[in-house]
Amino acid sequence: MTDVILEKVGKTYPNGYQAIPSVDLSIEEGEFIVLVGPSGCGKSTLLRMVAGLESISTGELRIRGERMNEKEPAERDIAMVFQNYALYPHMSVYDNMAYGLKNRGIAKNLIEEKVSDVAKMLGLTELLQRKPRQLSGGQRQRVAMGRAMVRDPKVFLFDEPLSNLDAKLRVQMRVEIRQLQRKLGTTTLYVTHDQVEAMTLADRLVVLNKGKAEQIGTPMDLYNKPATPFVAAFIGSPSMNLIDATLTEQGVKISEALTLPLSHQHRGDIVWGIRPEHLEVSDEQNGDFALRIQAVESLGAETLIHGKIETESANGESMVVRLSGPHLPDVNSLMWLTAPMSHWHLFDAKTQQRL
Amino acid sequence: MTVTFPQKGLPWLLLLPQLLVTAIFFLWPAEQALEQAFYQEDAFGLSREFIGLENFIDLFTDPLYYQSMLTTLVFSFSVAIVGMSLALFLAVMADRVIRGKLAYQTLLIWPYAVAPVLAGVLWWILFDPSMGPIALWLKSAGVDWNHYLDGNQAMILVVIASTWKQISYNFLFFLAGLQAVPRSLIEAAAIDGASPFKRFWTIVFPLLSPTTFFLLVVNLVYAFFETFGVIDATTKGGPGQSTTTLVYKVFDDGFVGLDLGGSAAQSVVLMAIVGLMTVIQFRFIERKVQYS
Ligand SMILES: Nc1ncnc2c1ncn2[C@@H]1O[C@H](COP(=O)(O)OP(=O)(O)O)[C@@H](O)[C@H]1O
Ligand SMILES: [Mg+2]
Repeated sequence: MTDVILEKVGKTYPNGYQAIPSVDLSIEEGEFIVLVGPSGCGKSTLLRMVAGLESISTGELRIRGERMNEKEPAERDIAMVFQNYALYPHMSVYDNMAYGLKNRGIAKNLIEEKVSDVAKMLGLTELLQRKPRQLSGGQRQRVAMGRAMVRDPKVFLFDEPLSNLDAKLRVQMRVEIRQLQRKLGTTTLYVTHDQVEAMTLADRLVVLNKGKAEQIGTPMDLYNKPATPFVAAFIGSPSMNLIDATLTEQGVKISEALTLPLSHQHRGDIVWGIRPEHLEVSDEQNGDFALRIQAVESLGAETLIHGKIETESANGESMVVRLSGPHLPDVNSLMWLTAPMSHWHLFDAKTQQRL
Repeated sequence: MTVTFPQKGLPWLLLLPQLLVTAIFFLWPAEQALEQAFYQEDAFGLSREFIGLENFIDLFTDPLYYQSMLTTLVFSFSVAIVGMSLALFLAVMADRVIRGKLAYQTLLIWPYAVAPVLAGVLWWILFDPSMGPIALWLKSAGVDWNHYLDGNQAMILVVIASTWKQISYNFLFFLAGLQAVPRSLIEAAAIDGASPFKRFWTIVFPLLSPTTFFLLVVNLVYAFFETFGVIDATTKGGPGQSTTTLVYKVFDDGFVGLDLGGSAAQSVVLMAIVGLMTVIQFRFIERKVQYS
């Protein structure tokens, strides 16, 4: 069943700035949707429109079939976790979690029961009498989640909930959020600028760029078949190698001296892409091109090699190669590579669409 | 960063005017009052006699003194509570305004720039029983306004006149306090189903409590010690003793009643109260409250 529908939803701020031109999205019940994109692309704006904290300028928002545009945040049956947690500083953990239930006139013993259930689930039982300032960052984060869960809402909204935590805790909470969401089966809309977080959490991702949904799909869809160079560059780390090229009868012409053979009916300027992990080390006979190595990053489990495609002219295109295991090639030496055609990504340079 | 002066004398020279003012207008009179409190002086200041604690004993056995204390408490708390409530209300309104915010805020700060005596005279004119526009309007509305005869009305008048000026100050602090409340807390409360009214009383107001307490002390100190000009310009402590606060009584007994020893003893008591309130004030300014 479709739970949340955004139909041509757009936002123009009172100062005339159009943050979101128009977004279409339908979310299934229990689905975990991640909105991802660089800072300032309109993620929070979109989320806040769903929450009712920003008015919807154009289009319609429906939750379980009911139009929500004019409804107050409290009437939408949603719960939100804020980036700074927004815990009430003068209330205990218990009161923070109970506040929403009290406002809805729920009986005291039922509130106690619900709060203690959720506290147990999140390991907060010992902390219920503390004030937020007596908690660590990770504990505050948990309380913020507890406050959202205790009301058992139709939809969870998260706005970069992990960005104030250190790297290790972030990974731990990420796993925990995913497990909790699976267990509760609550439809979730989650905002982040971190593509790793996005890939690991999402059932489906929405990649936002300047307020437009560039692509909506499963993490693997986006990885395997990015719709635009923007998505291609955004998803995956290190980013996909993207090179301006021309498609001719001979194939993909990267420079005067280098053309990778391909038969394709399209002609003209394109963007040619291949992920760093799909390049293979080769030799002078079999290689497609050589890379002049500029820097080597050894991470133990993998090695990232940065270099430039070697051509007669001085400025070749930059490339990153990702090899598993340790490798120690000399800086400034040449490395021959093959680029398997099955891993190529071609985009029309003008329309920015996948070919 | 520390600034070092070439000569040791210059810093003292620069401080001198302030030190002189403090010495001439504060330390010297304070010392005089302290001394005077233990003497009885004739009305012309020609002779005086050491009488020990007698002035204090007289003071604390005088029912009028207790009456004045009560008047001061009623007056001070009325000024503080009325002034702060109105200021908070205005600050909440101003915090909501988006267009022309600065204009409202500037207008609300003006009263603070008006000298207390001028403010007093202004209210004295407005409420004058025979020709004051407000008094006439009240009369037409069925209220028989004459603060020269009615002690309660006189009290209302001095409270209004004293509060009016203080609203600006309170307003500024409340507005700053309101703006320091994180927006996301209000939004979280809205999602949690709290009505705007409830959001204010359960989230915003508790978070303002450090500001509220600070202002309470400041307003009480103001009403205690800085309202002489307003009272003198409007009611002169009357009718009877109904608006004679402790500070006004020092002046009234000393310069009108010419009981200099008794007046000095009252000054000493007031000095002790000032000291106490200053301690309280500093204690609480130091106490910081975290918002996150
Ligand atoms: N209240 C506002 N008025 C005008 N512009 C705003 C307002 N809030 C956000 N914006 C602008 O809208 C764009 C998107 O903001 P936001 O949704 O917060 O981005 P994100 O969460 O993706 O970083 C930004 O360019 C931001 O400057
Ligand atoms: Mg944001």
